[in-house]
Amino acid sequence: MKRLILLTFMVAGLPSLGCAEDRAADPPLSWFGYGELNYDRPADHPEQARIDLTRFVIGAGYRFDDRTRLQSEIEVEHAVSSSSDPGEVEIEQAYIEHELHDGTFMRAGLFLIPSGLLNENHEPTRFHGVFRNFVETAIIPSTWREGGIGVQHSTASGLKLEAGLTTGFDLSKWNAASSEGADSPLGSIHQELAQARAVDFSGYLAANYTGTPGLKLGASLFTGGAGQGQPGFAGAKITLWEGHMRWEVQSFELSALYARGQISGTAPINERLLGSATLIPASFYGAYLEAAWRGLAARALPLTPFLRYERFDTAASYADLGPGLTPAARPERRALTMGVDWQWARGVIVKADYVDFTDGGGGDRLAVGLGYEF
Amino acid sequence: MNRQQATAVFSGPVAALLAAAPAAVAADYLTVAQAQQAIFPEARAFEAVTLQLSDAQRIALASGAGPQPPHGRLKAWRVQGEAGPLGFFFTDEVVGRQDFIDYALGINADGTLRTPEIMSYRESHGGEVRNAAWRRQFERRSDGARLRNAIDIRNIAGATLSCEHLTAGVRYLTLLWQLALQPAAAPAP
Repeated sequence: MKRLILLTFMVAGLPSLGCAEDRAADPPLSWFGYGELNYDRPADHPEQARIDLTRFVIGAGYRFDDRTRLQSEIEVEHAVSSSSDPGEVEIEQAYIEHELHDGTFMRAGLFLIPSGLLNENHEPTRFHGVFRNFVETAIIPSTWREGGIGVQHSTASGLKLEAGLTTGFDLSKWNAASSEGADSPLGSIHQELAQARAVDFSGYLAANYTGTPGLKLGASLFTGGAGQGQPGFAGAKITLWEGHMRWEVQSFELSALYARGQISGTAPINERLLGSATLIPASFYGAYLEAAWRGLAARALPLTPFLRYERFDTAASYADLGPGLTPAARPERRALTMGVDWQWARGVIVKADYVDFTDGGGGDRLAVGLGYEF
Repeated sequence: MNRQQATAVFSGPVAALLAAAPAAVAADYLTVAQAQQAIFPEARAFEAVTLQLSDAQRIALASGAGPQPPHGRLKAWRVQGEAGPLGFFFTDEVVGRQDFIDYALGINADGTLRTPEIMSYRESHGGEVRNAAWRRQFERRSDGARLRNAIDIRNIAGATLSCEHLTAGVRYLTLLWQLALQPAAAPAP
């Protein structure tokens, strides 16, 4: 039996052809999601090997009209969230986006900051390796979001410009007794719009060029006060800038990123924290080079081996507190990650990698992960 | 940066954009007629066609076109030139990240592709597929039914889903053309 799959009775030239389809009758609600299940085994401490449902994310989009939509994501980290479990429940994105003009959008709410290659594309199918790279977690605190307003303009020639006014970091959250600030200075003081202090606002600018197929070049700047009106934190300011590129040519994919952050006005704060484990750094930075080869994928074997070299320092310098008091910079860390991604099905990926810290500071690990996105 | 400084620096461009925005702007970049003109500028007429696929053709299409995103409405026109048939013109919809991308594709009588056009794009994310240099990668390709994103067609980092799904859509339309519209498969007039 023949089935009719296409019904087209229009005649060229009718007025109805002059308009794009009316989407008013389409369902306005759409769902999406992603997740990661990871196993990691530290080489120095195999007794700490663990399996974790790192992330389980459900998102919803809702189209109010042809130009206005809601974008939202809710995430559960580490499977169980309770007072006695390690998990967290987070809203990662919740914003309204409105198209002002062809290619020009405005958004308001909680949204991801356009910084680096990963922050806005953090789904496990979008990056190589089981875990996100060190630079874009320790220096750029992915998944980094702020509340505020932003505008974005894209041209048909491949240039995207973004600017916004948002909430910023709260330096009064710095816990000098914890190692969190040493792991990720900005990750330890981000506010995530959870009753965020809004005395000091921040701003961002970002530019990306994708006009040449396979090439992405971009840079961003985020800056703003971080004292948030709290006693003893006046004058504190945070700036983070980065530059990045990705070049996909033939079967090769090459990526590079450099990011640097500065926290000013920390000397009087650190004076009060002297003797504590983790003082506030004045600067921190990170960079990586990554190469992946899809030659096997081109031969219908969906395996992508990759290699990534990273250098990063979460406390490259401290504000001067005087002789004998100014902390020494933390040693730079250097990591070589080698692994392979296997695309199990469209939107499903299995990954395995090994991280070798070549600086001798320990932390080597083997990891295997399963990720999906729909 | 305090509140006053931040407001002064960053709200200026925002206010300017808001002021410049027309009261009502469609999200469409091209109408069907404009897309027809852009893809087949030499055409004399576009004749809408109705397709019927047998079960075998339908199965061949589903299995041969590879993984596909959700498709919306699909329409086809036979394109006539001054000297005879030029090929076929299609409009189709594939999901980008969450919402439909409306695009148009031309397939010449010999099965080679013409550069697709983006008619509507409704999301701020992934709209880089509008870039002409990316779309020109399809021009004159004769392997449209086998094209793979990031292998045969260079990907755009940050717009991967849109690139994948548009490439999948082109694969689908090309195979549809092969199964039902190319001269050997076309029904007798």
